[in-house]
Amino acid sequence: MERKIKVLLAKLGLDVHNRGVITVAKELRDAGMEVVYIGNALPEQIVAAASQEDPDLVGVSSLGGAHLSLGQMLIDQAKAAGLLPETVFMIGGVFSPADAQKLKALGFAGVFPPGSGREEIVGFVRQAVAA
Amino acid sequence: MASTKPTTKEILARAAGGAGTPLYNPQALAGIKAGFDAWRESSVRPADREAWAQAPATVLGSEIPRNMLYTPLDVAGLDYARHLGNSGQAPFTRGVHANMYRGRRFTRRQLAGYGGPEDTNQRIRFLLDHGATGISIIFDLPTIQMYDSDDAIAAGQVGMSGVAIDSVEDMDRLFADIALDQVTVSLVTHYPSNSALLFPMYLALAERRGIPWEALKGSIQNDVTLEEVVRSGPEYIPPRDCFRVQCDNMEFIRRNVPQWNFQTLNGYNLREFGTSAVTEMAVALANLVESMEELIGRGLTADDLGQRAAFFWSIGNDFFEEVARIRAVRRLYGRIMTQRFGVTNPRAAWMRCHVQTSGVSLTRSEPLNNVVRAGFHALAAVLGGAQSLHVDSYDEAYSVPTEEAALLSLRTQQIIETETGVCEVVDPLGGSFYLEALTNELEARILDELAEIERKGGYVAAVESGWLQTRIRDYFHRERERMEKGEIRVVGENAYQGETKLPEISVFEYPEGVEERMKARLGELRLRRDNAAVEAALKGLEDACRGGGNLLPASVQCARVLCSEGEMFKVFKRAFGLWRPPALW
Repeated sequence: MERKIKVLLAKLGLDVHNRGVITVAKELRDAGMEVVYIGNALPEQIVAAASQEDPDLVGVSSLGGAHLSLGQMLIDQAKAAGLLPETVFMIGGVFSPADAQKLKALGFAGVFPPGSGREEIVGFVRQAVAA
Repeated sequence: MASTKPTTKEILARAAGGAGTPLYNPQALAGIKAGFDAWRESSVRPADREAWAQAPATVLGSEIPRNMLYTPLDVAGLDYARHLGNSGQAPFTRGVHANMYRGRRFTRRQLAGYGGPEDTNQRIRFLLDHGATGISIIFDLPTIQMYDSDDAIAAGQVGMSGVAIDSVEDMDRLFADIALDQVTVSLVTHYPSNSALLFPMYLALAERRGIPWEALKGSIQNDVTLEEVVRSGPEYIPPRDCFRVQCDNMEFIRRNVPQWNFQTLNGYNLREFGTSAVTEMAVALANLVESMEELIGRGLTADDLGQRAAFFWSIGNDFFEEVARIRAVRRLYGRIMTQRFGVTNPRAAWMRCHVQTSGVSLTRSEPLNNVVRAGFHALAAVLGGAQSLHVDSYDEAYSVPTEEAALLSLRTQQIIETETGVCEVVDPLGGSFYLEALTNELEARILDELAEIERKGGYVAAVESGWLQTRIRDYFHRERERMEKGEIRVVGENAYQGETKLPEISVFEYPEGVEERMKARLGELRLRRDNAAVEAALKGLEDACRGGGNLLPASVQCARVLCSEGEMFKVFKRAFGLWRPPALW
């Protein structure tokens, strides 16, 4: 039996908007994955949860503008905790195309601005985890 | 817990008076009907006959079916005096004032908020210099969620997507060189809790400047929906305590700041989160009804309260639905205030609203398309008779608006009111068979959904039980599916997608060093202030929270002696305890 892909999702920092991450959680679960959603969390809390849950992929949502500041902290702390490079990181939310590039450069393998579709996200998770 | 109290719908049904004067002559209607039936058979294609009523598939739409053609037959029972009235006349369908925009244009109230208070002060002045007529302030996430700029939880987020405010001194910087008794200020304090912490800072600021509270004009949101239902956050107080704080704000402000709108019922954020045109208004009215009952119990009168109640609606894509729903809720609110709460002052029956064009309806791809979308939204708001307007900017899906984008939003408002001529006639679409039929349909559906909430035990019960959260979640999951299937089509997203690489738009850049500055200031303030007074004030606030009285006087005292918002919120958490909201997931 194929092991289920396990995904940990979180709202990055104090961002209030959670419609997107709830939508993604449902779509990943509908695609047969195990999803753990921890709500609002700081980078260190996300890293702690990931260390405990041992997911294949960590996805964070940020619509509040702090994607680079907190995103950087998250990746740095994930590296320090030994989660990278095995764990895949993805981020969704509101940020400019220029910032999307910066997020990729930081180490987010998947970057999903507004308008990203289900197939796109689910497809990315499957392919990224398989790699 | 289900309720057996009569619903608002039942109360209004009982109050409906005797025979009125139908507008349409029965003979004329009979003739029209005969002609219509014949026309349907002879001139309408079979396919159109079969699919006569179709619902437009739109983002945030209500899915109400529309006829191919509307005739007097669709509003056969229309009674001008009973259902419409003239503008400024009960039931206020056509507008709250007789002269509407001839007398006073809608307030051009564009949001401002980013960085530290002095940064946002610049954007406020920019907007005022370019013809904005009202101020609207949005706070950063730490401030909204009630944490200080130097709290560990705020790291990396200070001054983003809103302005950072920690104390009354920051309020002072925010409104530098702005005469608070000369402007109307909307403080977008979403929650009852942050309203109870931030508005006192505004009041303390007025005191410092020698401005009596009676001279202050503006509004706060102060809605439980925002704090408990549509936000994601690390910590929540329980809904009943949140409702108490909401009512404390309303009561205190009504009694002490008479020109201030103590609440702008939501509305906008609820719908943007993902609900229909109908649910948005039913929930706002459910909160209103429950708040009115509570405050009347505290000795205020419905006439007192109605005069300062206000609403904050979204405006989405379905053009005629948006116009119709503003009219529908205006009539319904008027009926609720007169027939359920017995107000005698007509001002207490006016549904006054600020409206914001829908952000979720804008796209990331081809952002300039959003200028067009927002233009239509804004026009619908004006044709619906809104009092105040914010137009979302075309870079909505990128960041906080650039100056250029914010200016274009303001120009959108100015072009409508200056160049299109629509403001010269009150309720110009009134009398349209379509619009009146749709207004009736929306009013009926809003009232039905309000009754549903009331039967479940009322607004607060609906929040505590998770019923409301589930309804929203189901709506937005369904909307997502409909978009995926292509049932709802959006230009540039799943319809008419282009391959052409368009020029990039410029994106807002946050000012540097805001977090460091705010942290340093707060640190310095904590050393400078009278910390004995601070401790006493915080203790006073805790006593007020735990006691049964209104906690606002204690909160104002905290603001006066330079308590920070985070310090005050800690008191709330201690006094009320924390609540785990029902999971959407």
